[in-house]
Amino acid sequence: MTDQPRILVVDDEPQLTRVLRAGLKSRGFDVRAAADGLAGFEAFNDWHPDLVITDLAMPNVDGLELCRRLRAVSQVPIIVLSAKGEEKTKVEALDLGADDFVTKPFGIDELLARVRASLRRANAPPTNEATPTMLDSGDFHVDLESREITVRGKRIHLTPKEFDLLVYFIKHSGKVLTHRTLLAALWGGNYVEQNEYLRVFVGNLRKKIEPDAATPQYILTEPWIGYRFNSGQN
Amino acid sequence: MRRSLLDHRWAGYVVAALSVGALTLLLKIIGTHVNAATVSLALLLNVLFIATRWGSLPALAASILAMLCFNFFFLPPFGTFTIAATDNWIALLAFLVTAITAGQLSASAKRRTEEAETGKREIERLYAELRDAFERASHAEALRQSEKLKSALLDAVTHDLRTPLTSIKASITTLLDEIRGRINGEPPVALDAESRVEMMEVIDEESDRLSRFINGLIELARIEAGELQLRRRWGAVDEIISTALLRAEPITKQHRVEFDVEKELPGVCVDERAVSEVVYTLVDNAAKYSAKGSVIRIIARRAGDESILMAIEDEGPGIPANLREQVFDKFFRATRDGDIRKQQPSGTGMGLAIAKGIVEAHEGSIWIEAGRNGKGTRVMFTLPIGDEDVVDEKQYSAATLET
Repeated sequence: MTDQPRILVVDDEPQLTRVLRAGLKSRGFDVRAAADGLAGFEAFNDWHPDLVITDLAMPNVDGLELCRRLRAVSQVPIIVLSAKGEEKTKVEALDLGADDFVTKPFGIDELLARVRASLRRANAPPTNEATPTMLDSGDFHVDLESREITVRGKRIHLTPKEFDLLVYFIKHSGKVLTHRTLLAALWGGNYVEQNEYLRVFVGNLRKKIEPDAATPQYILTEPWIGYRFNSGQN
Repeated sequence: MRRSLLDHRWAGYVVAALSVGALTLLLKIIGTHVNAATVSLALLLNVLFIATRWGSLPALAASILAMLCFNFFFLPPFGTFTIAATDNWIALLAFLVTAITAGQLSASAKRRTEEAETGKREIERLYAELRDAFERASHAEALRQSEKLKSALLDAVTHDLRTPLTSIKASITTLLDEIRGRINGEPPVALDAESRVEMMEVIDEESDRLSRFINGLIELARIEAGELQLRRRWGAVDEIISTALLRAEPITKQHRVEFDVEKELPGVCVDERAVSEVVYTLVDNAAKYSAKGSVIRIIARRAGDESILMAIEDEGPGIPANLREQVFDKFFRATRDGDIRKQQPSGTGMGLAIAKGIVEAHEGSIWIEAGRNGKGTRVMFTLPIGDEDVVDEKQYSAATLET
């Protein structure tokens, strides 16, 4: 048993699993590979990896089904490998609980950055233990009790909904959040198709927190998918 | 259509009055030569004319007017409405009844004809409308189907291009990271020599895969455009087979290859390179989809006086009967698109489509059966032996199919 983080790579392309295995091993990860969702799920149960990287289109059990099965038993971070043009499937995977995605073809650095971010999030102490009253992340400081927020040391005034949206973003910093996830979390299940609500609130929030709302640095748009929050912490 | 004055509502009555008047005048002028019967017939004809042209009411008006004129001018005593003889009363009455009846009958006949005409036109119009609507719908459906097909083909092509690219990109960035790290004096990335070689092997193999895929695309495009130019010449079947097998040696190393080639097979006039490509594709498939150590059998024999039959047989899981035609469609992969997906690996979905194109360009045919004892796959194709005289030198010199 080593203390290296364990990564399970699930892809039906043997060449890609060969490369990822060698590439990730060289960065100090312990890697195993599986050729389809079924083998992937079995390997997960045997080996308990710290993170799963999975392709979406695979024979037998595909990436979506693997996400569904994994989420039924575990909160392990999942990164999906997807292709341009697979936006619909990608969103589905994220809605099913995948944490992030990387679009093929990708450089190893991009994948590694996503892996590190996902592992960091997974290992971070849970923020909601014993109802904390303060939330600190990058440029943001939030007092949840008095509902006050400062950005880069400057106090800002938000409407209650904007406040909730920003707190949700901060709590899920670095993670891709689909429109559906955000709408369900902030407005409830009946509003998951109302993307325009979200656009309006994100627009207002950007005006209040971004140095330049036209080129946002905190609330980043993931085209066709949703948003990713970057608190400015590096 | 423009309405003429004659189509006006009152035109019938005016024409009725004028025509009866004119006819009466004419008959009066030549009066000495006509008797009452002739006059009544002429007036009746006029009523019929009015009825067929303007319908029943103008005809009725014409009938009454004609009756009055008949009475006034042609029944004695002339110039009065009184009638002297009883038989003339009968004649007048008969005239009136005949005129009215004939007028009404011909008017109703005319109406029915018109109604029938209108009905016919309506049916024709509806038919044309329906036909147009149907044509529009089927055109739209054809367009939709073709768009769907195009997008499916594009998906297949982009997948096959992107997959090797992804492996190449991931390998090269891993290697680059290591080298850059070393140059910048950063803590070295622990990439051992074995991994480094593996990355480069992957790059090498995946580049070949891309190149094969692109060659396949070009060949398919040529076949589809009907531009596959065959360099036909006389050759021996066993030589074609040996060329293919030599090329397939690395793939068939772990299989037992058996031959069942008829002795004294006649020579064939074919494009040897292209036919050898067909044999190679089939042997490659046989090796790919059957277990190591199993038998791949190559069969060649005469089929009648004018053709050669060749078959490549394996002991793999076989292709279900419902997919045996579809596997010849371009980009169709039984292992991915069919219901036998669990078997790996999967090819590019072009090999069999190209093989079919080549065989058909030789005017042969290709099909799939179950192998021996109903197990495995047997792909068979026929090739016409060819005619002694038809070596087309022009085509031969124009051939460009070198890949």
